[in-house]
Amino acid sequence: MKNLNTLLAGIFLAVALPFGALVISSQVQLGSLGRAPAEEGGPLFPSREPGLAIQGRAVYVSLGCVSCHTQQVRPAGQGSDIARGYGVRASVARDYVQQKPVLLGERRIGPDLANYGARAKDLGAVHTAIQHEGRFAFLYAGAKQEVASERAVALAAYLQSLRQDYSSPEAKLKQ
Amino acid sequence: MTQENISRRPQGRPPEGDSRLTRTEAQLRGPFLLFFVSAVIWLLAASVLGVIAALQQGSLAGGPFRDCEILTYGHVAAAQHNLFVYGWGFNAFFALNLWLLSQLGRFELRNGWLATLGGAVWNLALTYGIVQIFAGNQNGFGLLEFPREVGPVLAVAFLLAGFWPIVAFARRPTGHTFASQWFVVGASFAFPLTYLLAQLLILWQPASGVVQAIAHSWFVSNLLLLWFGASALAAVYYFLPKVLGRTISAYYLAPVGFWTFFLFASWTGPASLIGGPVPLWVQSLGVVAGAMLMIPVIITAINFHGTLSSEGGWARAWNDTTLRFVSFGAVAFTLFGALNAVFGFRGYNAVVRFTSFSAGQEQLLTYAFSTMVLFGAAYFVLPRLTGSLWPSAKLVHVHFWATALGAVASSVALLVGGWENGKHLADATVSFQQVAKAGSTWAYVLSVAAVLLLVGHVAFALNAFGMILKSSAPASAGRHD
Repeated sequence: MKNLNTLLAGIFLAVALPFGALVISSQVQLGSLGRAPAEEGGPLFPSREPGLAIQGRAVYVSLGCVSCHTQQVRPAGQGSDIARGYGVRASVARDYVQQKPVLLGERRIGPDLANYGARAKDLGAVHTAIQHEGRFAFLYAGAKQEVASERAVALAAYLQSLRQDYSSPEAKLKQ
Repeated sequence: MTQENISRRPQGRPPEGDSRLTRTEAQLRGPFLLFFVSAVIWLLAASVLGVIAALQQGSLAGGPFRDCEILTYGHVAAAQHNLFVYGWGFNAFFALNLWLLSQLGRFELRNGWLATLGGAVWNLALTYGIVQIFAGNQNGFGLLEFPREVGPVLAVAFLLAGFWPIVAFARRPTGHTFASQWFVVGASFAFPLTYLLAQLLILWQPASGVVQAIAHSWFVSNLLLLWFGASALAAVYYFLPKVLGRTISAYYLAPVGFWTFFLFASWTGPASLIGGPVPLWVQSLGVVAGAMLMIPVIITAINFHGTLSSEGGWARAWNDTTLRFVSFGAVAFTLFGALNAVFGFRGYNAVVRFTSFSAGQEQLLTYAFSTMVLFGAAYFVLPRLTGSLWPSAKLVHVHFWATALGAVASSVALLVGGWENGKHLADATVSFQQVAKAGSTWAYVLSVAAVLLLVGHVAFALNAFGMILKSSAPASAGRHD
């Protein structure tokens, strides 16, 4: 306590050990995770993201959508995520290997979007949802907000690309 | 910790009645006032944004802010959060931590211009970051929203502005140390380390997939507990014995409290990822650490509430402006620790996950505890540094009641509202719209609380700025009541 070096060494360890144990170990465990087929020879999941969806993610981040929407489905038994239809299975780490940045979110002021692409009826429904009853009308032009701006088009493509409805080695879909 | 150390209370100021500033205080007056004034300005800005954000969530959801891109909720909420944390929390603790360790270590800040420079750079980088958030250039990670070029600048500014307490500790003339000193040294050392590592792994060389989220949770828990928590604990350890004129009860426990706090705090982050797509062992470590954090919470509770409970301490605390705020904060910290441990467990956590509950826990820690302690400290320190009295006793009352009621109302609304919200959400037959409707009362309470906080902050700012402007000459006796 009286010796600054001891104090600083202790504090350094108190910060660095959890960093190593939580963050570096997870990176070791999950760092090499890649896309995988549900069964041998099948297509790889998660699918590659279309370029427009990547642009759409930038719009999503820039508008701060993450402050109201999560993108993670908890397993059955923890909350009602699956019963509510947010997803057909729990989210697993592999679902996020292509996402930069990963937008798990912490708060649901609006519904979860992890599997939104699978449950959205069509493109029109996606645009209606983006408008939030007029609150995001600035993304649209025209008398009835019927003309989507480039950003709205990209955002819609991104939202449609959000799918966790495939089987992955960690989370098989029930037949 | 020797017996001798226990009986020695922090000293560093000549006895009351000395009409001049000590050299220690005269030298840190400039940087202190820079940090303090910028902190209060940011606090006011954050409270205005807080009112806007609360209204957007509640009664004015479709109101005047609809269809305004700059003021869309995602921008306002992020800017408010960052302004409160980096603008108010950091500037204010730069000031207080520097003052505390200068007092305890009789440290003369000879290179004050370096601290001033650090403060200027910090505030410029912060302004740039906030403008960028409103311009739509933000990152998707809470409290790391600033564009990534801001990070290294803030880190350098921190080293210039926030590292002086460690220098003061190293240069102290006596061998003795006091609990406040450990906590401040810990906070000043842990934050830059955390911030740089988090910047690196989240923004510059992003870790793969969900590891980003794990690194982020580690960063947030360190920021909240090891900067806000540790700095505010240091202040409570100082002001309770100082103003009451007695030693801390069971002070021999304090070193255990300090080490267990630092040992466990940094592990608690992943408790905010329970149920998420991260390895289970990571989540479990977070839960266990949150429960273990009860050890330092109980020890600080024994230290603080024990000191306050003997010989009419509570009554005296109530009648002293500084202690009224500080003991309010001490109670809030105990409450925070208990909630943190209980709601880490999976069953409870599953209910409150993704609701406003975690925002309520953060409000308890950063506002009801840290900010109230900072206010109390300001009532003690400012009269000494400026040499004048608080211009208006009425404004002091308005400040206390508005912020105390606002803190209670906002915490209750976020916590209880979050719990209720979670209970509704757990029932899949209740639609999301119905859930939102059921929570509208709490949204209303939150708006009222946000207005109360703004009123309190304006009262505080008027009083403090009036006092600083009045004191062109740093003379006359310092008083704090």
